[in-house]
Amino acid sequence: MAISAATKAATDALAVNRAPVSVGAQEVHRWLQSFTWDFDKNRTKYSTKYHMANDTKEQFKLIAKEYARMESVKDERQFGSLQDVLTRVDAANRVHPKWNESMKVISNFLEVGEYNAIAATGMLWDSATAPEQKNGYLGQVLDEIRHTNQCGYINYYFAKQGQDAAGHNDARRTRAIGPLWKGMKRVFSDGFISGDAVECSINLQLVGEACFTNPLIVAVTEWASANGDEMTPTVFLSIETDELRHMANGYQTVVSIANDEAASKYLNTDLNNAFWTQQKYFTPVLGMMFEYGSHFKVEPWVKTWNRWVYEDWGGIWIGRLGKYGVESPASLRDAKKDAYWAHHDLFLIAYALWPTGFFRLTLPTAEEAEWYEANYPGWYDMYGKVYEEWRARGCEDPNSGFLPLQWFIENNHPIYIDRVSQVPFCPSYSKGASTLRVLEFNGKKHSFSDQWGERMWLSEPERYECQNIFEQYEGRELSEVIAEGHGVRSDGKTLIAQPHTSKDGKLWTLDDIKKIGCVFADPLKSL
Amino acid sequence: MSIVVSGGRRGLTDPEISKVILAAIPDKPLETQRKMNYFMTPRGKRINEYETLCCYTQPTPDWIPGGLDWGDWTQKFHGGRPSWSNESTEMHSSDWHRHRDPAFRWHALYVKDKAEEWRYTDRFLKAYSADGHVRSIDPVWRDEVLGDYLGAFGFSEYGLFNSHSSATRDCLGDTLRMSIAMIGLDKVDNAQMIQAERTFLAKLVPGFDESTDVPKNEWTQGSIYKGARETVEEIWQGTYDWNEILFAGHMIYDPLFGQFVRREFFLRLSSYYGDNLTPFFINQMQLYHSQTKGVTKDMFHTCLAVDENFGDYNVSLMNMWSDKWLPRTVNALKDFMGIFSKIPTIAGVSDKAAIEAALGRVFDDWQRDYADPIGYKVDTAALIKTVLSGLK
Repeated sequence: MAISAATKAATDALAVNRAPVSVGAQEVHRWLQSFTWDFDKNRTKYSTKYHMANDTKEQFKLIAKEYARMESVKDERQFGSLQDVLTRVDAANRVHPKWNESMKVISNFLEVGEYNAIAATGMLWDSATAPEQKNGYLGQVLDEIRHTNQCGYINYYFAKQGQDAAGHNDARRTRAIGPLWKGMKRVFSDGFISGDAVECSINLQLVGEACFTNPLIVAVTEWASANGDEMTPTVFLSIETDELRHMANGYQTVVSIANDEAASKYLNTDLNNAFWTQQKYFTPVLGMMFEYGSHFKVEPWVKTWNRWVYEDWGGIWIGRLGKYGVESPASLRDAKKDAYWAHHDLFLIAYALWPTGFFRLTLPTAEEAEWYEANYPGWYDMYGKVYEEWRARGCEDPNSGFLPLQWFIENNHPIYIDRVSQVPFCPSYSKGASTLRVLEFNGKKHSFSDQWGERMWLSEPERYECQNIFEQYEGRELSEVIAEGHGVRSDGKTLIAQPHTSKDGKLWTLDDIKKIGCVFADPLKSL
Repeated sequence: MSIVVSGGRRGLTDPEISKVILAAIPDKPLETQRKMNYFMTPRGKRINEYETLCCYTQPTPDWIPGGLDWGDWTQKFHGGRPSWSNESTEMHSSDWHRHRDPAFRWHALYVKDKAEEWRYTDRFLKAYSADGHVRSIDPVWRDEVLGDYLGAFGFSEYGLFNSHSSATRDCLGDTLRMSIAMIGLDKVDNAQMIQAERTFLAKLVPGFDESTDVPKNEWTQGSIYKGARETVEEIWQGTYDWNEILFAGHMIYDPLFGQFVRREFFLRLSSYYGDNLTPFFINQMQLYHSQTKGVTKDMFHTCLAVDENFGDYNVSLMNMWSDKWLPRTVNALKDFMGIFSKIPTIAGVSDKAAIEAALGRVFDDWQRDYADPIGYKVDTAALIKTVLSGLK
């Protein structure tokens, strides 16, 4: 066979220059947009009222192997730190006990968010038509697997090396018992994966990641470090390096629908709903974990919230999207009010229901009470006095026979669950903006704590039918519920949850709870 | 000391803070059970790191078998469709959390392997180019087969890659979801490697067309990949059941069509045409195929086919799906036979007898590894005969 002209040219070229040649990632990536083709059935399996443009580009132009190289380098640094120096200095046993407990919740709940984001970005990968946009979402699918594993690694590390493994070692089984779980599932699980694909992207990328990962994954590292925890900054800051790609994906989602007529009709409503959905849980829960789950305080939550949520996200990030018709959510103003008091309201309820947790909670010390009062004037009269009363009645002591939940009952302060957010609230004893609204539908009563959630429910009640813990456990005795949910330590009787982190304090058992005879009731039934 | 910490002081290293922390820590650990996920059933004797980090990360309620949560979904699709549901697949399982990647790859292990492959690819390509290997490639093989037909095969891999998107969204278990995403990434990696090879050749061979225009035209309009394209389109977007997508792609189409094209055509023939570049890339694809085979056989054979409650039913369904997807795949192979008329025949290598032998290897492997474990009766000789009827 004759040598073609091209072969001759290649041979000639080699005679002149034999410099090694390779192929870079960008040289491959630039062809990516042409990898797809049109065919009759080529449409997404997840409907959306928006049209995502066919020529949308991505900002992080990675190919599969380059993605792996980049992540592998980060993994080497992160796991090297954890397994080498932090282990040698026994770092897990130099973390303040209060923070050790907070990480049972923070790490596991973030893991749920990361896990569901795998599915969420799988849906977006399916929904997008442009190969580059698909590729951006694909990178995120893999990132979310990474983050799921990383969050798990925190609990794994603390369980293996730390001072109290219970709760770290079985969070995936015991987390479902208590009042914080269902709300967490709304924001971190179903809110990401169930709905219009673009609406889910707004929930996940435009709000969850661009707004709340900053306080959740960045600010938390300052609190962790102050309280002796260097494992969390090591892992979470490595996670955050990927979050930039996810924020870019959210930005590109908006870019891809910007010219679609549906965007001008629906985008700001979807954004407002997504923001309220996410803030309704994160604002109180993060504030509670930081302030009540730490000994050493970095700054008041309201300041952190204001910086990251109100100014950075509501102002700068949303401002950048202004040219695409995106406006700051109408509910941002109400959220700002929540940032001041909602976490204090929630801790009061969370502490009252402490036996249903998979972590230990601690009442504020006198020193902390001073800090709260200085930063939230009026705190003592509303909350501090109550904690003093609970402590005086022996709420930390298993022999007292007193659960703070009794205080709510005695004082006729019923606790309700907001149907849409699944966040508990006590309308008659709260400084936040919660107000009780009750609606009846198909023979069932539903309680709501704010107008934004109520509006969502009124539009589509079939999306928010989930039972709450009071409906689920109605008529059940508390110790039975805890035992059924595996809320006990390896001795089979001592609770994982405890109302203190004192090293000298006695630990509560199932029998201590049983003696009290606490039976769940659905407050809506008495209305 | 004050409880307010500012200026980036760290509890681990600041003596004042550290003293307070150490004073608060219990004298002995409060819990003796230090094994995370101690409650789960491991695949082997002990819970390994992969199982610790992956199993039960999914928060599904107990009415999706294997779930540890309770109750309903907190938000559903418009109209009330649930977030995840048993109705998303015709397959049944007593525990959707049972699957394991046989290599126990969690994310860090997965990307570590691929990162090494990327670095080695870079080193290989530099050595290959500096050594002047490209001079030895047969020009027809290089310009037409690699340029056009290998390029067109990239679309098959890209289409299969996309078939994993809805399976990643809809599947019902955590280890399943992670495995599906990973084997999906391997497929787009294959498509990208094919383009990388074509781009590399364009750098070395003046006039070599690295554009995807001709391959795409071949894939969408040509006769050689017609059956393959129609099958891939149906797997990717015509099928909604996530298990059927995986079964069609990884238990029928890829072990037959993919294996023949990669292993018995490009890999086996390339050296006869002076091409020792293509085997470098195809061998990576074959590694991924082998790993994926382990993953999907675990899903379908190790877990679903022997499920204590639904094993018989699942096997029947797999047989039905085989009936559905095998003829399409055979048809894809039949169309692909047209490629042999595009290359110079080498006796004993690309003549009819050699092609028949190659088909025999692929079908025998498939029968042994995929059909026999589910009791699927198949006349491979007849299937090969049908495929060979496509030879021009």
